[in-house]
Amino acid sequence: MTETEEKADPPAVMIEPIDISKLDPNFREEIRSMPNGEELSACFACSTCTAACPTANTWKYKPHQLIRMILLGMREEVLSSEEIWLCLTCFECQERCPQNVRVTDIIFDCKNLAAEEGLIPNSIVGLAKELIDKGQLYVVTADWEREDMDLEPEVPGLSTEEFKTILKGTRTGRIVGGDE
Amino acid sequence: MPSYNLYMGCSVPANYPNYETTLFRVGEKLGIELNYMEGVSCCGSPNLRAIDYVGWLTVNARTLAIAEQNGHDIVTPCNGCFGSLKDVHHFLTHNADYREKVNAELKKTGVEFKGTIKPRHFVEALYTDIGIDEIKKKITKPLDGVGIAIHYGCHLLRPEDVTEFKPEIYDALVRVAGASVVEYPLWKQCCGATVLPVNEDLAIRLARDKLKSIKEAGAVFITVACPACGNQLDLQQLGLKESYGEEYNLPVLFVTQILGLAMGMGDDEVGLEMNRVPAGPILEHLSG
Repeated sequence: MTETEEKADPPAVMIEPIDISKLDPNFREEIRSMPNGEELSACFACSTCTAACPTANTWKYKPHQLIRMILLGMREEVLSSEEIWLCLTCFECQERCPQNVRVTDIIFDCKNLAAEEGLIPNSIVGLAKELIDKGQLYVVTADWEREDMDLEPEVPGLSTEEFKTILKGTRTGRIVGGDE
Repeated sequence: MPSYNLYMGCSVPANYPNYETTLFRVGEKLGIELNYMEGVSCCGSPNLRAIDYVGWLTVNARTLAIAEQNGHDIVTPCNGCFGSLKDVHHFLTHNADYREKVNAELKKTGVEFKGTIKPRHFVEALYTDIGIDEIKKKITKPLDGVGIAIHYGCHLLRPEDVTEFKPEIYDALVRVAGASVVEYPLWKQCCGATVLPVNEDLAIRLARDKLKSIKEAGAVFITVACPACGNQLDLQQLGLKESYGEEYNLPVLFVTQILGLAMGMGDDEVGLEMNRVPAGPILEHLSG
């Protein structure tokens, strides 16, 4: 057959080779110590989480791969990945995990670590700024619409000062402050 | 008379006064007292949870702690607020270290989280505390069995060990109003609202998947119990007309708009004209 005479291409690989010297062996413990990260190492890579995810078909790293990457210590790749920010937070992966790994919660943990390193999409930094500046995500503008519906024009009981003060003292304040 | 701390969050008051007013109107019919919480603000949304877990815990623990002062449970009409408050409540009642850390911060504002009241979604309070039998007594203009698809919303349903919410609760509220619940394959799927800030195309694709699934199942209306889901499914239909040339014509009604109409309220009382996809056709399905 003619095909066998042609020079063979390098073998196709499922994933890029992993450079062991770049792995961070402490990463799994770091995630395990974060909120709801305890079950991380129960993952047996069945990829049910990926099957459950409505958007993973467009992801380079699928949810089960992200979990595996955490276990391997691929800290840099996980925290700089676009995927963690594309998570819908719909909890379908977490609901279906047969090992009770809290996959969505763990992706939240990853985003917190990424945020600590300043790896946040600009649009999310913008939302953080809104929270610090206005003390809420949505502000009433069409108060006449409220009055039309027999509601007070201003939201009764609303007070944004304490909210702003709290967030200025936590990471949100550092994210927004550092961006200015 | 059941009395609750009403936590509105930021989206309902700013974007959906029709949802807000129907909470009170339906509540009044059922003898429920709703009191706006004093001194509270936004829940921060999953975006705050993503970038600042401790800040998110603290602002929501503060809201819970304020409610504890009068001892009444919190009810909220927003899945985002419900998800935040319920998750923070669950987490802090199971994690003493974080509870201490958060309370050290809250002390500065004069409150303490103890976990003595529960944050609840308004629909669950209706179902559990009033009950379907009592609600049924107030239905004077039941719907004619028209098919309504329920978009429960992710943060109402999941994670189930945290939310403690059963989809049957919402089903029962739609049925008691006289409608049929239309089952559809993507009933669990996200509306896409959460990913809007980072990838609008993806958000639109998700809304489209959802709307297609609902339309193909034969539903005539959609109901939601969340301003973010409502906004996404209602508003994106206008966008899909332009971007995909597709028309779904699926009016999206808040659960309290449907209950209000079935309790005899007029279209103006439930703010039907504020719906983006014209919701007037539901009036043709009311009996009596």
